[in-house]
Amino acid sequence: MQNEIASRAAADARHRAADAAVAKRAVAGRRLIRAASLGLGLVVLAQVLSATDVLPLGLATWRPTLFAYIVWSVALGISQVLIRGEQGKQALFLLPALLFTIAMVIFPTFFGLGIATTDWNLSSLTGVHFDLFGNIATLAGDAFFWNALLNMGYYVLSVLVQYGIAFGLALLLNADIRGRKFFRVAFLLPFMLSPVAISWMIGKSIMEARYGPAATLARMLGWESPAFYGVGWIARASIMTMDAWNWIPFIIILLLAGLQALPGDVAEAARVDGASPWQAFWKITFPLMLPVSVTAIILRIIFELKLADIVINVTAGGPGGATDTVSSFIYREYRDRSSVGYGTMLAEFYLILIIVFVTALLALASRWMRRVS
Amino acid sequence: MASELMWRLGTQMGRRDVLKGTAALGAAAALGGAGALAGYPTSAKADTALRMELMKIPGAGNGSPTDADWQKVGSLCMGPTKQNVQPGEFKGVELSFMGLNNQNLHNFLFRGFLKPWEQYTGATIKWIDLAQGDYNARLQQSIATGTVDFDICEMGAPFEGDVCGKGLTSEMPDWVKKQIDFDDYVNYLKPPVGTWNGKIYRVCIDSDTHTMNYRTDYYSDPGLAKAWKDEGHKGEWGVPKTWAKVQEVTKFMKGKKIDGKEVYGFLDQPKPWGGFAFYFLASRATAYVKYPGEKAWMFDVDTMKPRINNPGWVRAIQDVVDLLPYEPADQINADPGTTAFQQFLVGTGGMLEWWGDIGTVAVTSDTATVGKQILFDILPASDDVYNAKTGKWEVLPTGPNVAPNMAYLGWGIYVMKTVDADSKKHKAAWSAAALLGDSDLSMWTSAYPSGFQPYRQSHNNIPLWVAGGYEEAYIKSYMDSQTTSYNHPNNAIEPRIPGIFQYYSIAEDELSKVYAGKLTAQQGADNVAKLWEALTDKLGRDKQIAFYKASLGL
Repeated sequence: MQNEIASRAAADARHRAADAAVAKRAVAGRRLIRAASLGLGLVVLAQVLSATDVLPLGLATWRPTLFAYIVWSVALGISQVLIRGEQGKQALFLLPALLFTIAMVIFPTFFGLGIATTDWNLSSLTGVHFDLFGNIATLAGDAFFWNALLNMGYYVLSVLVQYGIAFGLALLLNADIRGRKFFRVAFLLPFMLSPVAISWMIGKSIMEARYGPAATLARMLGWESPAFYGVGWIARASIMTMDAWNWIPFIIILLLAGLQALPGDVAEAARVDGASPWQAFWKITFPLMLPVSVTAIILRIIFELKLADIVINVTAGGPGGATDTVSSFIYREYRDRSSVGYGTMLAEFYLILIIVFVTALLALASRWMRRVS
Repeated sequence: MASELMWRLGTQMGRRDVLKGTAALGAAAALGGAGALAGYPTSAKADTALRMELMKIPGAGNGSPTDADWQKVGSLCMGPTKQNVQPGEFKGVELSFMGLNNQNLHNFLFRGFLKPWEQYTGATIKWIDLAQGDYNARLQQSIATGTVDFDICEMGAPFEGDVCGKGLTSEMPDWVKKQIDFDDYVNYLKPPVGTWNGKIYRVCIDSDTHTMNYRTDYYSDPGLAKAWKDEGHKGEWGVPKTWAKVQEVTKFMKGKKIDGKEVYGFLDQPKPWGGFAFYFLASRATAYVKYPGEKAWMFDVDTMKPRINNPGWVRAIQDVVDLLPYEPADQINADPGTTAFQQFLVGTGGMLEWWGDIGTVAVTSDTATVGKQILFDILPASDDVYNAKTGKWEVLPTGPNVAPNMAYLGWGIYVMKTVDADSKKHKAAWSAAALLGDSDLSMWTSAYPSGFQPYRQSHNNIPLWVAGGYEEAYIKSYMDSQTTSYNHPNNAIEPRIPGIFQYYSIAEDELSKVYAGKLTAQQGADNVAKLWEALTDKLGRDKQIAFYKASLGL
């Protein structure tokens, strides 16, 4: 009995000692992260004071802040292990990606918000001034931006057409046709091409108004003087066509993967019950493919909202802004007009619009999916 | 400007077609004596024998110049350098050089030219190569963020407002001015254009002007001449000398054919091109708005009030609108590169206003099929000119108003002020710049694929060009159009003010709406004027006015 008591006491003592060590490590960890945070804060403060000429510290670049951030990140990792033990070690797998995202995405986004409140123009001789309201007023009255945004509506709607074509092709590639493997690779080729290459190969060569094969074909079909970029709606349709040709394979890949994952016995049962091919598609395949379809459409819309390269290369937004996209317009503001403040305002505003739009789209899709299922 | 366009051309420049056979070599050899060049302008420092030798590099039938050729050219032109610099004098000096890499020209040539210079002086050069499209952004960012990391810079004159205006460049020493033979420059590149605030910063390596390129076969075609008469047009069928005639001829040509092929008249450039397309509207406008004796034509010089919406400019814009239906299909989507390299040089269009590249590319590029069926003229005139001061159109007693547009003013080499603190580096940088601006070397760059055009009086030396394989009538027409424009008393000089390309880019965007029929010419011009006013306020009106005056030498 006495031995048992002694043994329990010894175990308790070991536990207490272990707990004390854990607590001690946790304290050390907290101290470490506090010290690192304080150091980072001081370096940032010194940089700000130096950059605003309050303190003549002679810090020519922001590298000290970058180094301080790296040191702080390492300290954060060590402190996590010290404070949380095994869980802290698990956190180490996530932290590098998280810290990198903070540094390269989140911080620039918020920093950009600051720039968006200024009138910063690289050629300005009067420096950078706060001009949030000026930028907002310019944005509100900027016919080019709103025109580009309207065009984005048309481009986004064109995704539905792309989806329809892609679904048809995916069904074809999923069917037991001759040369299926060849066609699967062939249909993917446009997706492997750069939009810049497509701009030149198709937009500026095949669709060239005088000697391009597309123009020759159009003449043979009775269009006397074909011009693919002369009239607004035709130019927009031409851009949409090139963009669709580039991206339809992406939708095909997703839909084909979905089709191949469908249970074969359902389709088999439908056939046994006498369903026609159309009924089998409309009543079985299409509903079962809805989750994949929604994912494909939303992803494609997100990509579509970034459309710029083909437009910049082929039409520069013309004629008269008919093909302009928000990204190609922002590109002109930055590259041709060195308008950093207002250009950033446009980019941040567009980002917010995209976030709101995509969030709403996801919510609607989710609600609709629940109702359908 | 040539470089910009070579880059867009995307073709391999070859001398094969120009320097054909031994005839050219024979001619060159025969002209070896200075006697053959009598009567032509020569530079005080020009070495005729050396220039003849240079014109043979790489020589007839030997293809495009290579790095070895560039080094040879540089080596042969080292004479003036050796007079001012001792061997190994710059040992240990490292210079950073920022320039373009368009179409494997510019910096690629500079590397070759300066290789012998590096070997002789002991200095080394670190190269920063930029695509044309990245150039402006890189330059502006370097200036705005105070990170000018280059000692020497290849730069277009319109950027002087951004760079010289901010005191970032080193002033040219007198010994460099003598070495490069500054007095040999064509007149318009001399002060005030070749200077900033009365000081010289630029070593010229190029010059620019828009001229009219036209098809000789169109204007000598008897069928068209007959149709012209039959349709009751006034005057003889020929190359239009005024913009009104350009309009009339272009409308007349719509639907006409030669040898079964459709022909067109003038080609406009309505599509934005990063600001550069605006030069083409400006070249249409100068005859209407550049009043003789007055330097300003784009802004009022005392207030920076834009003139873009005055009746002269609006007439030029309206001319484009009126003519577009008579130009090739999809012309609204044609930028300057398209009109030059995908239209005119391959046989579409009878008239094109452009930089001097057309004349040299037409006979040196394998992809230019128009060949020698073109000749050249200065920009067309206008029967009347708008006087911005009186607000009235005037018919001048001297006849139609001519105003060649010195669009872009050419490339130059600039030394940055950062070298001024180190005398050895300062001399090294200026010595390198001086070699690139050498008088004899420039003859070679004018005649061979380089990205640069004639910019010295001594370049107007026809026998030298003939020795290089050009037909005399062809090169004479070419050089006449260039030199007449350069030396014209009413030539139009653009404002070298900070952010000038922002003004041009804004105008391009607004004008594209006019050309698409969404706005009238006046509405579009009023919009541009309003936006230009806002930009001037943003950039600092008082300073812009001061820079504008400085750039015009007022």
